[in-house]
Amino acid sequence: MPIRTHQSAAGQVNSRIDNTVRTWISHIHVDRGIGRMLVLLVIAFALFAVLNPRVFMNPLNLQNIMVSAPEVGILAIAMTLAMLTGGIDLSLVSIANLTAITISTMYTGLVGSDPALAESLGGVIVLVGIAVGVLAGLINAFLISTVGITPILATLATMQIFNGIAIVWTGGKTLYGAPQALSAVGKSTVAGVPVLFLLFLVVAIVIGLLVNRTPFGRKTQLQGANPTAARFSGIRSASVLYGTYLTTGLLGGLAGVLFVTRNPTASADYGTSYVLLVIVIAVLGGTNPMGGFATVTGVVLATLVLQVVQSGFNAIRLSSYEYSIAQGVILIGVMVFDQLRFRRRTRYVASTQTRNIASMSNVGEDADETPDTAGADSVETK
Amino acid sequence: MTLAQRMKTLAPRLVGANNEGVLAIIIVVLIIVMSLLSPSFFTVHTLFSIVRSALVPSILAIAVLLVIISGGIDVSFAAIAIFAAYTTVHLAQQGQFDPGIIGILLFACAIGAVLGFVNGAVIARFRLPTLIVTLATQGIFRGILLVYIGSRYIAQLPDSMAGLSTANLIAIDSSRSYLPLLVVPVAVIVLIVAWMLRRTMFGRGIYAIGGDTEAARRAGFPVVRFQIILYMMVGAIAAIGGLIHVILNRNANPQDIVGTELDVIAAVVLGGASIFGGRGSVLGTVLGVVLVQLINNSLLLMGVPTAWQRAAVGLLLVVGVGIQALSARRASRRTFVLDTVEA
Repeated sequence: MPIRTHQSAAGQVNSRIDNTVRTWISHIHVDRGIGRMLVLLVIAFALFAVLNPRVFMNPLNLQNIMVSAPEVGILAIAMTLAMLTGGIDLSLVSIANLTAITISTMYTGLVGSDPALAESLGGVIVLVGIAVGVLAGLINAFLISTVGITPILATLATMQIFNGIAIVWTGGKTLYGAPQALSAVGKSTVAGVPVLFLLFLVVAIVIGLLVNRTPFGRKTQLQGANPTAARFSGIRSASVLYGTYLTTGLLGGLAGVLFVTRNPTASADYGTSYVLLVIVIAVLGGTNPMGGFATVTGVVLATLVLQVVQSGFNAIRLSSYEYSIAQGVILIGVMVFDQLRFRRRTRYVASTQTRNIASMSNVGEDADETPDTAGADSVETK
Repeated sequence: MTLAQRMKTLAPRLVGANNEGVLAIIIVVLIIVMSLLSPSFFTVHTLFSIVRSALVPSILAIAVLLVIISGGIDVSFAAIAIFAAYTTVHLAQQGQFDPGIIGILLFACAIGAVLGFVNGAVIARFRLPTLIVTLATQGIFRGILLVYIGSRYIAQLPDSMAGLSTANLIAIDSSRSYLPLLVVPVAVIVLIVAWMLRRTMFGRGIYAIGGDTEAARRAGFPVVRFQIILYMMVGAIAAIGGLIHVILNRNANPQDIVGTELDVIAAVVLGGASIFGGRGSVLGTVLGVVLVQLINNSLLLMGVPTAWQRAAVGLLLVVGVGIQALSARRASRRTFVLDTVEA
């Protein structure tokens, strides 16, 4: 008998160590997601700096990267939020364009009658533009949560509708004109860093805090990881979904403001390639498209990587089509890599589990490989 | 059996498994309303022009339907379609030879199948989300086409194709109404796919995979192989769609078709296919395509600017899918079964 208790104590210690090591490893895993983006960023930067230093390392070019990153980055953060709940928001770019068009139309309308008034009302115009974005987000939230349409179909439809409204509104033409204060902000820098980039970092920090440090963020993660468990934990999916899609609408509107800030024009078909790009960035940044796991830091880094690659492609004179090939290859490559590593990890965990709990011998390997466990696992260990 | 009882059993059969009946009624009502509103609507000319404009979307929609039934979603089919069609025409023009329409068809289908294989291999082997994989391959295929194959508009088609573009099945010269001969191959493909989905083990397997992949695997369906074959088939069908588009337009433009993905997906979803997989029919899909084309045509006749078409299709999608979602929610409440998908 004493031998037996000794054995079980050893077993306990063993499993405890096992658990600790596993949590420890999973921490490394999270950090490695961010670390990997950092490595990619450095490699991409070094590669283009070597290939064409004269164009790529030009301060103007570096500043351009920092000025063009925010609008894509904010859209990617919005996409990340939608993916966190297990959804997706295809209408983001259309929302941003609608905001940009609203701002441009209101401004040019006011300038026609009273230029001074138009300038002084710049802030109000921007707020109205963002309100349009929030309203669009509200429509998405209503369709997804109240009506119960799948996010991908709901946002597919609203993308068509918002884009259609924008086409009708502009007549397919490009609108010119935006409050001059905005353009001034777009051009200004603090210690060589464009204000827009700082704004992007602020938004990223706010959303990062929202996701990781607030009850709302926790609920969102659980909702994405396992909707059934979330419901039985008393989380109201309606409030989570409304909160999420209102926020994505708000961020879409903010991106629209950046569109006109960077360039005082607005059109219905601006940034059509962003739909793919934003999804690429979100997934590359470590977001699980099935929901439940995301890091805003990873997304910020992924944004920078892709902007550097794009700028580098320009510097070595490759076309935008080659850039879209690169995007696709990077996206599939990273997902395949993640999947392979994840399988190896679950296989390891599953085998230790079967050794520890011999009675539960029918814990299948296949059951552990489903994506849902991936999300749950990541949240739990995070 | 009383009349009321008979009506009760008859009604679900008329409505159809995927609301095909409802769709048909909407189409008929729309036709009646339009005929009353505009005298120029109820003519053979309108009928033929709607059929003509529905040809390419129907083929592409059939391809998308297969993917959606299997539980996935494909946005790369448009890129595959124009890739296969443009490459075929480009090579025929470069090599100064004309392999005949059968040769062209086989070549384009082979290209489509290879591209479909890329999709299928990545999706089935690594079990990645289909939307994101096909978004990526869409960018890759389109990029390869425009960078390495050609970005130039080709106005001169090989003779065998050019001959087909003017061939008509029915031509009524008095009202300038022409029904292109290409209706025949489109109808044949639609019927073959419908037969395949209903009667073959492969077709039932696609439904099974879409309904529940794990259950399909345990029932003995070779899931990975079926998925790869499925995506190759989708690629080949999309390639045929691309060829028909090129023939009807009498030119090959590498910028075409891409951008119409969402309209096609909207038509398939309107046709009753469930985005979660396992449900959908060829009849419903064809009706969905006809409905979208009918609405586009009606808007044009009523003098609504073409700019509204995009918003109209989006609105149609919201209404169609919204009604399905609400009725599903009500049904699940009635049966007191916890539906995890809805949550």
